[in-house]
Amino acid sequence: MKPNYMLLALVVLLLALQTGCGAARKNEPISGPLKIESEEASVGERLYMWHCNQCHPGGEAGLAPALNDKPAPGFAIQFQVRHGIGAMPRISDDQVSGGELDAIVSYLVVLRNR
Amino acid sequence: MRWNHAKIWVLILLPIALSACYQISGHRMGGEIGPTSPVRHVNPGDVALTEGYRIEAVALGLTCPTGIAFDESGEIYVTEAGYSKGEMSAAPRLVNVSGDGDLTTVASGAENGPWTGVIFHRGSFYVAEGGEVGGGRILRIERNGSITPLISDLPSRGDHHTNGPVAGPDGFIYFTVGTYTNSGIVGADNYKSGWLGKFPDQHDIPCQDVVLAGENYSTENFLAPGAGGEVQTGAFSPFGEKTRKGQVIDGRMPCSGSVLRIWPGGGKAELVAWGFRNPFGMAFSPAGRLFVTENQFEMRGSRPVFGAGDLLWEVEPGRWYGWPDFHGPNRLDFGERYTPPGKSTPRILLAEHPARVPPRPAAVLGVHASIAGFDFSRNPDFGHFGQAFVAAFGNTPDAGKVLSPVGYKIYRVNVETGVIHDFAVNKGMANGPASWLGTGGLERPVAARFDPSGTSLYVVDFGVVNYGKLGAVPRHGTGVVWRVTRKPAVKP
Repeated sequence: MKPNYMLLALVVLLLALQTGCGAARKNEPISGPLKIESEEASVGERLYMWHCNQCHPGGEAGLAPALNDKPAPGFAIQFQVRHGIGAMPRISDDQVSGGELDAIVSYLVVLRNR
Repeated sequence: MRWNHAKIWVLILLPIALSACYQISGHRMGGEIGPTSPVRHVNPGDVALTEGYRIEAVALGLTCPTGIAFDESGEIYVTEAGYSKGEMSAAPRLVNVSGDGDLTTVASGAENGPWTGVIFHRGSFYVAEGGEVGGGRILRIERNGSITPLISDLPSRGDHHTNGPVAGPDGFIYFTVGTYTNSGIVGADNYKSGWLGKFPDQHDIPCQDVVLAGENYSTENFLAPGAGGEVQTGAFSPFGEKTRKGQVIDGRMPCSGSVLRIWPGGGKAELVAWGFRNPFGMAFSPAGRLFVTENQFEMRGSRPVFGAGDLLWEVEPGRWYGWPDFHGPNRLDFGERYTPPGKSTPRILLAEHPARVPPRPAAVLGVHASIAGFDFSRNPDFGHFGQAFVAAFGNTPDAGKVLSPVGYKIYRVNVETGVIHDFAVNKGMANGPASWLGTGGLERPVAARFDPSGTSLYVVDFGVVNYGKLGAVPRHGTGVVWRVTRKPAVKP
């Protein structure tokens, strides 16, 4: 019997949604100051504040889910940004260039590893 | 080939699924908390601060406090908004807070609140009166309690009030007037909130002439119940008044969604800037630059707008800041970015905009965070010199749904870079008001202001607000004033 990958993916999706990762609280008062050591992540922080922070304030959940505990690899984050998922709008490279998106992902990695 | 496609989908969906982390179970947001105890539990230990700072409560038992000021000797004065809806009624007041936390009334207002803020300037208090009944006013209040209006009949009987004030380095008193509506169209949300039934001819007023695009929105005719049928309403027009393309609406003063200024001795108000929705908090930076907080579009009414984060602006005289067609420099018909799920994209209301693109804000904060009063650090001993400390009241249920409570904290904002950090938050696994978390921390911060020395940051906490069928129900006597100071340096 051949495995049904689509079914498998849907099961994993549902499990992930049902377990819900919860909103990790990793803000400055609770986790201490964020240490940004690369120029790319520093640039990414400013870009994040402009493009992402309003829905994911400080990387935590708000209008949209938390990002600071997002286990997805960079390419998956970039896919989600470029294509939009659910209520998240698609963000084109006219709005955020490829290099800028790389910087935002770099900042997200710092947030996640806090 | 089918297998390859399936594998690709697995690879795409798996990380997205793992990263989604949506909380799909019914969540209770800050605005959805049920009745709570009328006695508020206060515990500074339930508040987490940036390392090196401490917090204490200096005044309890206030009813809907909104603003704070200090006289020349450093004594504390607080405005209470006053409230007359639902099961609670209270007159607006200016109260003195003694060193022991005792409250003494300096002056009381009539039922034309809310009093939204206060400053002490050259021996007198200046208070912004919201004006829900008789229109907004700026009041000068003397120590003996006498009240003199500097300006009256400001157009703020609608959704948003007359706010501020702040004293400018030029000697003027600066204040703001919010818009009547969420996004330019009088509609069902305004009927529900009560003001449309009382003032059916009221609507937003542009500060300068505007040319309309002729967009109209259909709603039930709430003002003629039983008559049936729908009415069409256009921008900057009374409920039920249809507009046409190319129609000019005359600008006039005083106007909606504006920053205005007036001389402390009185006289006519002068326009500083316009195109705001609900400009609330105001402060001058140490370099003398004026900034305002703006509560942005909500997902309600005839023209709901999705996903518009609150904005912190630097105000440049004479400029237009985008309302009702822009969020920052972005048009509301920009793709589907501002389109509410399942609804249509907001249509552009003005045929010609006062500026091709509004300026870029100093910072973009959380959607529905309800950023409010703020101040700049002006003493290096406190730290973060030149950065803004912004109180966030938190989301309310009528503004639109969120996945997780937003606000209920103090933000630290670098206005040069737009980078935002949390400064004071409630401890616990989740963000939210203390009454919802079951702790004694922050409830609804509405103002943050430094004392004259700049070494203490005072946070005005509005207190517990429940939301039910009758709308917002503030809890009497649950307001608090907190004081944040730097911990003494530990000697090696």
